[in-house]
Amino acid sequence: MSWLLIALRNVLRDGKRVVSTVLIIAIGLAALLIRGGFMLATYDALQEIAMRSEGHVIILDDSKAAIGGTHQQLTLEGWQEIQDTLWTDERVHNILPRARFEGLVSNGNSAAMFSGTGIDPKEEFRVWGPFLNTPKGELIDPWLTANELPQIMLGDQLAHTLKAEINDVLTLHSLRPDGQMGALQVRLSGLIRTGTNELDDHSLLASISTVQALFGIDKISQLSIYLENPQDTQTIKQFVQSQFNNIKVQSWQQRAELHDKVKALYDRIFSVMGVIILVVVFLAISNTVALAIYQRRNEIATFGALGTTTTKICANFILEALLIGLTAVLVGMALGYSIANAINLADLWMPAPPGRSEGHPLYIYISLPHYLITAAILMVTTVIAALIATYRATKINIAEALS
Amino acid sequence: MNPRVELENIHKHYGSGDNGVAALQNINITINAAEFVAIEGPSGSGKTTLLSICGLIDSPDKGSYRLNGQDITQINAAQRCTQRRREIGFIFQRHQLIPSMTVYENIAYPLFLNGTKPRDTRQRVEQLLESIGLGHRKKHLPEQLSGGERQRVGIARALVKQPKLVIADEPSANLDHANAETSLTLMRELNREQGASFIIASHDTMIINRCDRKIKLNDGCMENTG
Repeated sequence: MSWLLIALRNVLRDGKRVVSTVLIIAIGLAALLIRGGFMLATYDALQEIAMRSEGHVIILDDSKAAIGGTHQQLTLEGWQEIQDTLWTDERVHNILPRARFEGLVSNGNSAAMFSGTGIDPKEEFRVWGPFLNTPKGELIDPWLTANELPQIMLGDQLAHTLKAEINDVLTLHSLRPDGQMGALQVRLSGLIRTGTNELDDHSLLASISTVQALFGIDKISQLSIYLENPQDTQTIKQFVQSQFNNIKVQSWQQRAELHDKVKALYDRIFSVMGVIILVVVFLAISNTVALAIYQRRNEIATFGALGTTTTKICANFILEALLIGLTAVLVGMALGYSIANAINLADLWMPAPPGRSEGHPLYIYISLPHYLITAAILMVTTVIAALIATYRATKINIAEALS
Repeated sequence: MNPRVELENIHKHYGSGDNGVAALQNINITINAAEFVAIEGPSGSGKTTLLSICGLIDSPDKGSYRLNGQDITQINAAQRCTQRRREIGFIFQRHQLIPSMTVYENIAYPLFLNGTKPRDTRQRVEQLLESIGLGHRKKHLPEQLSGGERQRVGIARALVKQPKLVIADEPSANLDHANAETSLTLMRELNREQGASFIIASHDTMIINRCDRKIKLNDGCMENTG
């Protein structure tokens, strides 16, 4: 006797209602899968941004001393020695020095505040990957001769404020450690656009040598270590910490404030959405099972009269609910997969969020573990809904139902 | 003779207060092994209630019921379920076949519940299917059968586990004379072959006249035993 076949026949007896239940659950599952795929893609993108902008492991000066008592952050000494040591490690892909500094940039007629970063122009732009956006001009030339003016790049909004054009000569002013105001003439080589208004209004890139010339010191703010495999982050962090004194070592996770905040926000939004969908699925299944029990009271009473235990009677209804749930899960997975693929192929863009000037491509991840876990949660919801609904079956009075 | 069913001073009351109805009052019946007994009476006389109590799907408010010598009034719901599964077969007025099971599965179901080996089940069901003349219909669903065929399947299902007691409630109510005759003949044959006691509630004189004994109920009371 095949109980699966009997359950299937029972499910098919109620064709229209079962189809509507399957569709409700399938659409709910597809929504969960697309929602989850979007979340995973967003988290991955944020993680990628965090790792590319800061490196997997970040080395800072432990003293937190600021030169000249201002907000300048050029405090890491002996960084070349650290760089040379770490280059011998095969797990390290790149080591980039960064020097954070602030000041004024002027074109002779007007001046604007900037938030600058000193970089190694030979290596820096390699790690920017798809996030490098130069709407105008060229990258900083790493091979300038001593006779040429140092080059800088400006955020496109900052250049617009200054009405600066490519190849214009500008002057950087910044407070030195000795309290004097340093000044340096530079040439504008190109513009950068990060997509974040706040950064594009103030950002400035210069080579480390330019920053050193402006401040007259050899210190930097941090060394960013990029790894071949991001999974080595903790190991390398511990290794670096054990090798050098007076430094502070952080992983990218410790610096990924935006990643953490956005993830927390999305988690909350999508959790509420997930709960709503699960409640809809729960109600659809319990309604279907409850109606089936109501319509088949006579049949349940017959089973009881023949000596079937209430556990066995309930198990039959749960098996039917599982069949409905399984069908819905398969349909929902196919639906979710198709919609996700269609969205990815359509090259749709999300609108720019507040504080940003550009949107980002809408991408939905298709991940097998995510599909399986979501489907499992839905099946568990189905079983719980069926269990609660079948409780009614145990309360049917056999004599009354048969009369 | 071995008494199979012993009902003593059985009372059953439905509802409460002024709306209450005494379904059965002071019922005393003994039915022996292999006895074929008819319960007759008008509608509302308590026949179905009496069958429900005898079939352990309802309990008396008062009195004692011994089935095969065991006091049934003292056992719990789960034990009553086990007794029904092992000892009692039901033939219903509206056959009550499970619509999602084939003829074969409907008949085999009580054996499955009792844990009979698949091989023995197959042998027993095939044999019964032949004796009720439905061997060729075993893979059909109940909706594909005529009323008479469904009732024959219902009888086969009641008898497949060779119960000691068979409860039949108006088994010929929805059948024409020829099918009613066939069903009764089948029940009689199986009663003789298997030695099961039958309690049949019916209005049908053809059935009542072919029973060993008649018990008449009126307003929940026994009138006489003949």
